[in-house]
Amino acid sequence: MHIDHQPNMDGLVLKIENLSIAFGGLKAVDDLSFEIKENEVFGLIGPNGAGKTTAFNCITQFYRPDSGNIYFKDRKGKVQNLLEHGVHEIIELGLVRTFQNVELIRELSIIDNVLIGAHTDFNATIFDQAFRLPRAVKEERRMRQKAYEILETLGIEDRADQLVGGQPYGILKKVEFARSLISDPKLIILDEPAAGLNDTETMELSKRIRRISKELNCAILLVEHDMRLVMDVCDRICAISFGKFLAKGTPKEIKENKDVQVAYLGIEVTENAEE
Amino acid sequence: MSTFLQVVFRSLETGSIYALAALGIIIVFRTSFITNFSQGVVAMFNTFVVTYLFRTMGLPLWLAIFGGIISAILVGFLIDIVIIRHTKKVSPVAKQIITLGMIMIVLGITPLLFGVDPLRLPRLIEDGNLTLLGADISYNGLFNIVFGIAVMVTLFYILQKTKVGLAVRATASNEHTAKLMGVPTKTVTLGAWAVAGVLGVLSGVMAAPMTSVTLNLMDEIQINALIAVVLGGFQTFYGPVLGAYIIGIGRNLLLYYGSSVWGGQILYILILVFLVFRPHGLIGKKIIKKV
Amino acid sequence: MNTIKKIIKNPYAHFILLGVLLLFVPVLAETGIFKVSYITTLGGAFIFAIAALGLNILLGFSGLISLGTSGFMGLAAYVSAYVTMDMNLPFEVAFLLAVLIPTLIGVLVGLVSLKIEGIYLAIATLAVSEVLRKTFEEFDFFTNGFSGKNAQYPTLLGTFELDRTGMYYLIVVVLVLIMILTYNLVNGRLGRALNAMRGSEAASQAMGVNLLNHRLIAFALATVYASVAGVLYVHFIKYSYPSIWSLKLSLDFLAMIIIGGLRSIYGTLIGALIVFAVPDIFLKQLPYFNQLSYVLNGVLIILVIIFYPHGLVYARYDIKRLFNKLFKKGA
Repeated sequence: MHIDHQPNMDGLVLKIENLSIAFGGLKAVDDLSFEIKENEVFGLIGPNGAGKTTAFNCITQFYRPDSGNIYFKDRKGKVQNLLEHGVHEIIELGLVRTFQNVELIRELSIIDNVLIGAHTDFNATIFDQAFRLPRAVKEERRMRQKAYEILETLGIEDRADQLVGGQPYGILKKVEFARSLISDPKLIILDEPAAGLNDTETMELSKRIRRISKELNCAILLVEHDMRLVMDVCDRICAISFGKFLAKGTPKEIKENKDVQVAYLGIEVTENAEE
Repeated sequence: MSTFLQVVFRSLETGSIYALAALGIIIVFRTSFITNFSQGVVAMFNTFVVTYLFRTMGLPLWLAIFGGIISAILVGFLIDIVIIRHTKKVSPVAKQIITLGMIMIVLGITPLLFGVDPLRLPRLIEDGNLTLLGADISYNGLFNIVFGIAVMVTLFYILQKTKVGLAVRATASNEHTAKLMGVPTKTVTLGAWAVAGVLGVLSGVMAAPMTSVTLNLMDEIQINALIAVVLGGFQTFYGPVLGAYIIGIGRNLLLYYGSSVWGGQILYILILVFLVFRPHGLIGKKIIKKV
Repeated sequence: MNTIKKIIKNPYAHFILLGVLLLFVPVLAETGIFKVSYITTLGGAFIFAIAALGLNILLGFSGLISLGTSGFMGLAAYVSAYVTMDMNLPFEVAFLLAVLIPTLIGVLVGLVSLKIEGIYLAIATLAVSEVLRKTFEEFDFFTNGFSGKNAQYPTLLGTFELDRTGMYYLIVVVLVLIMILTYNLVNGRLGRALNAMRGSEAASQAMGVNLLNHRLIAFALATVYASVAGVLYVHFIKYSYPSIWSLKLSLDFLAMIIIGGLRSIYGTLIGALIVFAVPDIFLKQLPYFNQLSYVLNGVLIILVIIFYPHGLVYARYDIKRLFNKLFKKGA
């Protein structure tokens, strides 16, 4: 359908063009376009059921969109159409995501969970691993060190060898964050990172998001409900409603946008009033 | 045509046996969430009881079968009360191993009680043939087909149309909610094991005259019943029954018209290929997890 | 002092120490402390432990259930018997072929596992195993049908002729080697990926785990282990009947890893001993109860699962607690 064209990706890390997907006739995402600049914190907001999660499941290839293009500038600076890649190939390009309901392995230690994020960075073969050949041992040691350092920056290195099962929710969120950081991403998609966190933890989170994007030179796409967090940390925001593009701009512009107020804040206000 | 019909009649008879066994497995699965690998072995035990009552005690066959049914109910109760009720904390996979433990117990006890010699159990209707459209079928075979179908129709009627059936279906769809709604799920589970036992002994009594009563009487039936459940899907009560008749008929047709040596294997391979395209059986939906 | 501590804590030292201890069984049997028949019983249990370790990788780590272990083990046993007896080829060649052929079929099942899951997969693999078992019954010139196929103690490298004791030593060496390899695999990148696949398919894919590859690897490993066990079996017991490779045996393997503990290497060995060695070595020795050894074993399995639903390896904490209690009371 599409003529394969190379889009202009100067200064951009992700460019979404005319993305659409429907489930049984219901358009979950409808002709959505936006782009994310390198190293910026970008917010994707919208009322419940607006298609935020669907949109980024399309980006990460969990869903195959019906139409549209998703371009991504990978770790080597090469422009890739993500639609040409399988879901397990996305992380290698430099795009990693977290999950709304924390998807960690309870039976593994925290550091082992973090190391899963480095899965594609290992070169040792199964044979090397089975016989613990020097290159496998060295690689394992190096990665473990890296994972430990990431845990240190998040302040949970003292728990590195504890099992994930039974850890408090705030810790689990940090572990998942650490797991995405170890892959040296160019873009991290955070799916409702503030859900289930208390006020102090949310404040800590917003500081962390800013720091990470600066220190690691990576962009962050924030899909979030907590408006305070979004307004606080995002450079730019895209608002959607019923799968359609609504408005784009700085937090200030979004706050003042009439359409957004009606679709998002307005609905929320009336809902609250009804309650 | 007449040979074809003959093969179909035979198949319906074995199909009935598989169907009764498969129904026993799915009833326990839906109420206790256990894949019961001991269904066949327990049926074998109760068939030994029937044989013992008939041969050693000299009871008439129908009375011996009645005795076997009572035994099946009691054994079912025993399994639920002594073992299954204490497995609430056990993982689904480990529960299946409990039924392996039960297999070992039954396989150990049976020879002690009934000896190691293979025994013979006659057909309920000793002789007589009916000729239908040029195909011969014994009265006993016809009786088995009709009786098997009658038992299943009765069970489905109870499941779909009565209060007891509603309780069973409620437990099957969500045990926890059912309990909150006041369904006596404990009794339902108890009853399920008893019914499964009865279905088992009926299939055993039907199968026994074709070979002899030994420890391995039900091995083949157990495996075909399990595959029937997968073919029909675990989500309904009637799917496995459908699967059982398909296996019964498909198997005999392949053995007769295909290869008498490889027919059984070919059928299993066909079922495997079918499962690749319909991973949840004939009647079954995939439950998709959202991320 | 520090080096000693290091050695005591080293997991490899544990495996090797265990192996050395097990090597003493035939010596003890010669002095009369053990019955000679225990060599066969224990050797058999270790062979089954090898296959069960493979199943533990599959079920414990990858979350994929299989009831096909016995079929694959049987196939390897027949291939090895056929290649050594009928084709007169060396044991080493037989070993390679007997591992390769079942593994190819195992990988095919791995492909199927992408589509079929849970109990459906369990019974689908049971169907595969049944196809193999029926083939053993019917494929006369290869398997000798119901009469069973004979094999002999192997000659290693064309020079070392093994007898029963020699075969037992070989089994212990292979068992320890496989335990070490398994330990290495499950504690590295592969183990993490398999764990991730079991825990959350979505997350593992997002982290770059290729589900197809890893399911194939898991099934291939499980089949390789089962095949190795099958080869050792047929050259240790010296015969193979179709009826051995039944659903019952596959359930036994499942029992071993559940009783011992999912994802536990030592647990698998404990499980194998309970399912295969305890009836012969202990239960049959009990006065009055020797007839009931099979029944008692069934009861034991049920009790273990009810009281230790996560496996007997967790009993060590209870034993420790009990020990501490007694010790403290004494002090």
